[in-house]
Amino acid sequence: MNRVYLDWAASAPPEQAAIQEAAEVSLQCFGNPSSPHAAGKEAAERLENARARLARLIDASATEIVFTSGGTESNTSLLLSVLDRYRLGGVERRKARVITTAVEHASIHDQALALEALGMTCTVVKPQPNGIVDPQAIADALDAETVLVSVMLVNNETGAIQRIAEISRLIREFSARRGRRIILHTDAVQALGKIPVSVAGLGVDAASFSAHKVGGPRGIGALYVKAGVAPGFLSIGGGQESGRRPGTENVPGACAFAKAAEQRAGKLTDNHACAAALADRLVTGLKEIRASRIFPESRTGRDSEAFSPYIVSAGFPPLTGEIVVRVSDAQGFCIATGSACSTKKKDHTRVLESMGMDHQTALSAIRISIGPSTIETEIDGFLAMLTEQVPPLLSISQGLGESHKARDERAGARG
Amino acid sequence: MSEPRRQTDGLFLIKYGEIALKRRNRGAFVKSLKDSIRAHLPDLPFSVHETFHRVFVGFRPEDKDRIAEALGRTFGVVSFCEALRAPREMPAIEEAAIGLAGRLIETGTRFKAEVRRADKSFPLTSYEIACRIGDTLRARFPGLTVDVHTPDWVLSIEIREHAYLYGPELPGPYGLPVGSSGKGMLLLSGGIDSPVAGWMMAKRGMSLEAVYFHSPPFTSEKAREKVEMLARILSRYAPGIVLHVVNFTPVLARIKEKAKDEEVTLLLRACMMRFATLLAERRGAECLITGESLGQVASQTVESIHFTGMLSDLPVFRPLIGMNKEEIIAVAKKIETFDTSNLPYQDCCVLFSPEHPLIHPEVRRMKRAYDCLVAEALIVDALEKAELVSV
Repeated sequence: MNRVYLDWAASAPPEQAAIQEAAEVSLQCFGNPSSPHAAGKEAAERLENARARLARLIDASATEIVFTSGGTESNTSLLLSVLDRYRLGGVERRKARVITTAVEHASIHDQALALEALGMTCTVVKPQPNGIVDPQAIADALDAETVLVSVMLVNNETGAIQRIAEISRLIREFSARRGRRIILHTDAVQALGKIPVSVAGLGVDAASFSAHKVGGPRGIGALYVKAGVAPGFLSIGGGQESGRRPGTENVPGACAFAKAAEQRAGKLTDNHACAAALADRLVTGLKEIRASRIFPESRTGRDSEAFSPYIVSAGFPPLTGEIVVRVSDAQGFCIATGSACSTKKKDHTRVLESMGMDHQTALSAIRISIGPSTIETEIDGFLAMLTEQVPPLLSISQGLGESHKARDERAGARG
Repeated sequence: MSEPRRQTDGLFLIKYGEIALKRRNRGAFVKSLKDSIRAHLPDLPFSVHETFHRVFVGFRPEDKDRIAEALGRTFGVVSFCEALRAPREMPAIEEAAIGLAGRLIETGTRFKAEVRRADKSFPLTSYEIACRIGDTLRARFPGLTVDVHTPDWVLSIEIREHAYLYGPELPGPYGLPVGSSGKGMLLLSGGIDSPVAGWMMAKRGMSLEAVYFHSPPFTSEKAREKVEMLARILSRYAPGIVLHVVNFTPVLARIKEKAKDEEVTLLLRACMMRFATLLAERRGAECLITGESLGQVASQTVESIHFTGMLSDLPVFRPLIGMNKEEIIAVAKKIETFDTSNLPYQDCCVLFSPEHPLIHPEVRRMKRAYDCLVAEALIVDALEKAELVSV
């Protein structure tokens, strides 16, 4: 059976050129970049080259890029940096406030809540029903103790694009009145290579990126930290990455990351236009299938200003997303439930529920995510498959889900 | 498989229950013993031989702990202990006794020698042997005293075709050897109860086959894997268990199509009972085993059990019927199925339980509803397609 891959937001198929560059660097520049000899220098050169290439793509300078193991590490290390009270501009740690949103990836949302356990306060701002956070709601949450605001650029479940530039402006206005800096971080993992990402244009102080979402390998990501903004990184070791991320550098990974990101950036406009057309086709087609819902309801498929066309969320309640994923898989289509990153966790409906959806509807969510090589016939095939497979399942699962409470009570009470 | 018989090999002496002495059970007992050890340790060389009243397992010294673990799970074993085998000559027996006493002395200084002379051709009587051994040990270990009433440890000697010497015994699980009480078909879900029910019947000597009702795509492969894991855990106690996995989605679809919402679970259970009965007949199982516990859920009230039980003409064993959940969980923990049962993957009964299920169904009405399903052909078809999984 031909496999159709529609789970690019979980991990993108690798770019040939990126993997080649990784292989080449692995074999030829194997030295430790910290070593003073020729082999070490050669590796250091490749690393710095990768850093400069990546920096250029996001309008940053090379010294502002820290290579990490991926999006999660970028997110958590930035958040944990507020633990260093000497960098909080005079705010005591136990009073420091972190503001984030209910639609963040767990590595921001759950990590922020974990900071609360350490004595800080955390404000979680809810999005509007369309999944987009009102910038004014962020501004309203700012106070004298706020040290960090983290809002993701493109949501990994719904594709909603947050208005980061506007949030940045409101924060700067607030800071100007108070005379103290508030760090603005954005999780740009699902944005890089898909929509233009200029850290200068967005006005952010920090941003997280991951290589494998753009066709690079796993285990490599980056954190942008604006010059002059110096969060106190917690890890201490051999002083690599200017002391911000100790550990022998993943030079092949960094090079492959730069290569993959360059490839995406080079075709960003064309790819985006194709993706927009496919998203339109997908959303229109989904709407024709019995019992289908698009999340958020207001999404048309033609609103690629507000939503990344690379991610579409839908569902066929009361059929759970898990069932649709299973059926799709059996028919050769790889898709995800609400979010692939969190399907092993119990609260995997947090993002959708924060948009005002009830639990059962949120459980029905599937996520279709596409990439530059996705073609029309794949979308059509997927729609045809759903049209054929879903209705019979719907009639069996009629009433399914209504009994969730009863089921919960009974879970573990059966033999 | 090489049978370890070298002098350096270890030996377990096993005492088994009275009922296992019955002639027709002895073969089953020895087979169950072998299978139990192999179920857990398939590549282990060991030997099993039996004499009147005793079974001996010979093993390589490095396998001792694993063999002991298997014996501790083998139904029919009342107790077992590591034994030394010595030639039937007093000097050799005395030497072995000294070796054994050297280890037992750590547990106390008051001891007693207990001798059983199964072979009466041995020149000394049991009493004479015991006296000799007592003298030898006291001479060798000056701190030792003989205390026949409250000894710290007992050194047992049995004179058979060889002399066997052993110290304190470890308890076995009692019960009857698996296979000595026929074969049962266990309805195995992924829950806590059904594996415990299977274990309890295995304890009474039943060999087991199990059936799991799979409902793709509503239930996941993970749920199926979980049931396979449970069957694998059960095989440590009930060696040779086989698992039948049946796709029940067509039956489920029929029920959802024809039945009232509140009847869904009961009718599903009824169809399962019917299926399990047909499968049992085909596989030579003589009864069904379920994990039902009275009143635990709507389908386990006396009326519900009356109805679902009507779908089988075989005896239906429900060993948990009078147990509380806490008691069941305690057993599940003991037999190490609990953690696996607690994995979150749901079976179809749970997934399709209606919000307001019938609690006190009217049996005649339910029987009519069952007949209205006209599910027999679907059930027979499912039976044809059922998959046999070796665990």
